[in-house]
Amino acid sequence: MRSLVVPALIQFLLFLLIAPLVTGILRTMKARLQTRRGPAIWQPYRDLHKLLRKGMVIPDTASWLFSATPYVVFLTAAIVGLMIPMVVTVAPLSLFGGVLAVVYLLALGRFFMALGGLDAGTPFGGLGSSREMTISAIAEPALMLAIFTVAVSANSTNLTDMAKFAVSQNWRFLAPSQILAFGALFIVLIAETGRIPVDNPATHLELTMIHEAMVLEYSGPYLALIEWGASLKQLVLMTLLVNTFFPFGLSRDWTALGVTAGMGFYLIKLLLLCCFIALVETTNAKMRLFRVPELLAVAFILGALALISTFVF
Amino acid sequence: MHFYQDPQFGNRMLTLMAAFVLVLQIAMVGQRWLITNIRIFAAQSFLLAGIANTIAYFNHAPHLYIAAFLTLALKALLLPILLERMVKKIDIGQEIAPLINVPLSLLISGGLTTVGYVVAQSFHRPAETASPASLGHNTLAVAISLFLIGFYMMISRRKAFMQVLALLCLENGLFLAAISLTYGMPLIVELGIFFDLLVAVMVLGILVYRIQETFDSMDVSKLSRLRG
Repeated sequence: MRSLVVPALIQFLLFLLIAPLVTGILRTMKARLQTRRGPAIWQPYRDLHKLLRKGMVIPDTASWLFSATPYVVFLTAAIVGLMIPMVVTVAPLSLFGGVLAVVYLLALGRFFMALGGLDAGTPFGGLGSSREMTISAIAEPALMLAIFTVAVSANSTNLTDMAKFAVSQNWRFLAPSQILAFGALFIVLIAETGRIPVDNPATHLELTMIHEAMVLEYSGPYLALIEWGASLKQLVLMTLLVNTFFPFGLSRDWTALGVTAGMGFYLIKLLLLCCFIALVETTNAKMRLFRVPELLAVAFILGALALISTFVF
Repeated sequence: MHFYQDPQFGNRMLTLMAAFVLVLQIAMVGQRWLITNIRIFAAQSFLLAGIANTIAYFNHAPHLYIAAFLTLALKALLLPILLERMVKKIDIGQEIAPLINVPLSLLISGGLTTVGYVVAQSFHRPAETASPASLGHNTLAVAISLFLIGFYMMISRRKAFMQVLALLCLENGLFLAAISLTYGMPLIVELGIFFDLLVAVMVLGILVYRIQETFDSMDVSKLSRLRG
């Protein structure tokens, strides 16, 4: 058990440090694609630093839920970060059911976020919470189907086993089931991280906002925790996507050399995925809220087809 | 042996293309824009030509090359151009107004795909998939699904134009079933089908135009009011 303490620390720190950077890189890429200069990629760090030093305003009507939410959101995302293979196939932490625990820890964070949005008692918060719940209720089955597709072919829901199986099979991502599952998981990633066809991460005052509407009442360190938690969750989903479908360069064990090489591959894969997301965000217009279930239905069908075709092809 | 002569590789490419054909078909159900639908159909036909080519290559069945070429020329290029021109000429509203809303339609077509897979399962002989002769047998499930979803689109769409497109998709399903099971029908039958299709689309085009002229709408449900 002790042998996993150091890796857990390394992975924990890596996740915490890279998460805001990914958000920054995505913003810059989007800005460049729209021929703006955009903020420096370090901007999210500066934002976090500034927010952590500021004072807080807590609404008079708020209960303990309001204060508990930022911690729950941040901690669930951080724990999930320890449970998925990042640069090495062996994840430092493995809880009940592996990937199921990942999905439901993320759901727990989302649930508290929605409660926190409601708790302040402003109309915007309730609006954001109800939208978030509507979308996640459809996104979650699609996520499960896509993940089960991978789990079925690896014969295990343990993420370490899944990663080991993925590494042992080259070019597996060309199988139809894998491509369909990748499509489903990508749409879920877009929906869960509030990116453009579903939600716009760059606005604070728009009637269609989802994530921003929930966090409208938060300020100071609480807001910093929530924003950090959101970027952690985004990184978790992105890692899940790149490492289950494109397991190139995942190191087999925790050696210094392996970790460094795995790190390099991991960053390159993340960067490519970021490019792809920025491209999707720039070329698409935001959907009307009532059209979002259609997009998620597509993800659901893709996931279902993926699962079927693992048995047929 | 080069990797492109390996039947395993061919099999993998075939299933991959077949999966994309299926995804495109479902995208067509989910898509609201008429022009996009036509382009999806073109892409689907292009993939179909690719499948025919692959089977022809691995089974040394030269007549399939002709079928593949005809698919490419006719269904991936000529028909989409004709249809798009028709859309521009009639100047119909772009939204296709389905009878059943889109998410439900998607779920139904997912269900139809499952039916297709279940039906095709009884034809599936995994022991033989390694030999080149049985290449593409597992695309039968995709073919049946295309067929069923084509029928469903025909039933659930109100505009005459979409029904023409649904007919073409249905035909794509038939073509896929034919080439995956029997390496294509005899060439003369194949040619007959293609010619038939071309004429059918032209006649349907005129018909759609007439419906539009007479009723100021392409809604086929209005045709039921027609009394002698």
